[in-house]
Amino acid sequence: MIGNKEDPRKVFGAAVTECALADERIVLLSADSGKSSGFGDFIRLAPQRYFEFGIMEQAVEGVASGLATTGKIPVFCAIAPFVTARPFEMFRNDIGYMRQNVKIVGRNGGITYSDLGSTHHSLDDFAIIRMIPGVRILCPQDPNEIRGAVKAMLAERGPIYMRIGNEPIENLFEEASFSIGKGRRIREGRDVTLVSTGSLTANAIAAAEQLQAAGITVEHIGLPTVYPLDTDLLLQSVRKTGRVVTVEEHYVYGGIGTQIADLLASSFPAPVRKLGIPHAYASSGSYAEILRKYGLDAEGIAQSIAEFVNEGR
Amino acid sequence: MDKARLNALKQTAVACRLNVLRMVRASGHGHVGGALSAMDIVTALYFYQMKLDPRNPEWAGRDRFVLSAGHKCLCQYAALAERGFFPKTVLDSYGSLDSRIPGHPDMHKLPGIEANTGSLGHGLSISLGMALGLRLDGSDRRVYTLLGDGELAEGSNWEAAAAAAQHKADNLVLFIDNNGLQISGRVDEVMSFRPIAAHFAAFGWATKEIDGNSMEQIVAALDELPLCAGKPTAIVCHTIKAKGLPFGENQVAFHFWKANEAQLRQAEEALAAEAAALREEAI
Repeated sequence: MIGNKEDPRKVFGAAVTECALADERIVLLSADSGKSSGFGDFIRLAPQRYFEFGIMEQAVEGVASGLATTGKIPVFCAIAPFVTARPFEMFRNDIGYMRQNVKIVGRNGGITYSDLGSTHHSLDDFAIIRMIPGVRILCPQDPNEIRGAVKAMLAERGPIYMRIGNEPIENLFEEASFSIGKGRRIREGRDVTLVSTGSLTANAIAAAEQLQAAGITVEHIGLPTVYPLDTDLLLQSVRKTGRVVTVEEHYVYGGIGTQIADLLASSFPAPVRKLGIPHAYASSGSYAEILRKYGLDAEGIAQSIAEFVNEGR
Repeated sequence: MDKARLNALKQTAVACRLNVLRMVRASGHGHVGGALSAMDIVTALYFYQMKLDPRNPEWAGRDRFVLSAGHKCLCQYAALAERGFFPKTVLDSYGSLDSRIPGHPDMHKLPGIEANTGSLGHGLSISLGMALGLRLDGSDRRVYTLLGDGELAEGSNWEAAAAAAQHKADNLVLFIDNNGLQISGRVDEVMSFRPIAAHFAAFGWATKEIDGNSMEQIVAALDELPLCAGKPTAIVCHTIKAKGLPFGENQVAFHFWKANEAQLRQAEEALAAEAAALREEAI
């Protein structure tokens, strides 16, 4: 139901389990991370297709590649920096360069492991994984999109990285349909294009509503696929509004903001304001406090957009 | 094994070494030291041990070979060409733009290559995944992997070593090409993993040590597989770096060889003489 909150890991685990029980090619890999990824039921129901490795993320990504060469569809889920930054070369060579049908899922992504500090934050995963040719990146925005993304990534051949968080997230959209590479126009407006990804889209929706009351109409586009960008949808909107604000749980360098700035530089030059985490080791604290500190709560986003729009008037 | 078959395998190993020289002649250089130390093992795999179909390289019923030490690729290209996976003229493109046989193997460019290796410490994990996948399918095929001894310093190998034993992957067979030399000098002085077999045994592997340039010993070890049901196998192969280069054997300088014409001719003549002696012996 819209507005209800759900645990993204449980939603993810249940969706993977449903697909994996129906398709014997799917195998689940764990680096001491299976149960926390929501795979508990699958471990009980199909133990022969569940592989535990202990805390060795480098080898697991190589093993996933090898399994895929035999026609299996491996899904490996663990804490986001440990499946991206740590085994980056295994991701690049064994999965990317070998073009294997492996699904890597980073959970507790972004800054959702807020008080555990910078070792557990993943604020560079979009940037580094996007540098691997042929890998697509998903970052669903609500529970239904997680369900849709799981089905879509398992049905799609090729390497995919998906990021989810761990804080309960709001149901934003009714339908679970998911098409890799397609964005979603959440609100129509004229003054500015607001682009968001992941569960921060909930805050962006609230910010757009606040601005409506203040006389600024926002065209809001949600991107459950971080790479490749839905360039048609974005350009169509920016041609109308002439300016863009991006919102993401990522460094302001290398994420959707950078990608959109690159796109506009070559296709339709327009001012871009990138909201995210500054390029520094982020602070620790509760998730809500950190978002507020970096201006990524609804009020912070609304304030940045209002300033940006007023600069242009 | 009968003498005639052994003799034929030895002749094939010489032919493969000549293929290695053919590639070096084409480009003027190559990682020959490790390619030549591993050449007898790789010959035995492709011409004695593995089930393969060169006309159908992706045949599901095949055994798999992963060259973790991807820089030794000249030995794999040499064996694949000799086995008929692609025309030998491809060997003449080594080092040229857009070659199908680059300096490290690429599975999307050449039939018979199972994994893209080059960065060390990746092949054993990939091989374990293949072994687990084959086992899930109920296949009795095996995965053979070759690592260099210097490569053992990559920690990811030991992650895979632990996992292979934990998952009882007895369809995984690892050869360690223990030629004792790496770029900076003797492996034991750079970073020693001696005793190598004991390291793998401690991780739960069945192990064996052989002379990796003795076709008799390689074939005998292959005939014994699996050494122990429920355990992956590690065969430590004592080899001679640049084996077959009369002026280069056991010398670090021939890890990567920039060849000149006189050296190439001398090496080719030595191998031709070895082949003639083997033919003589066979009569």
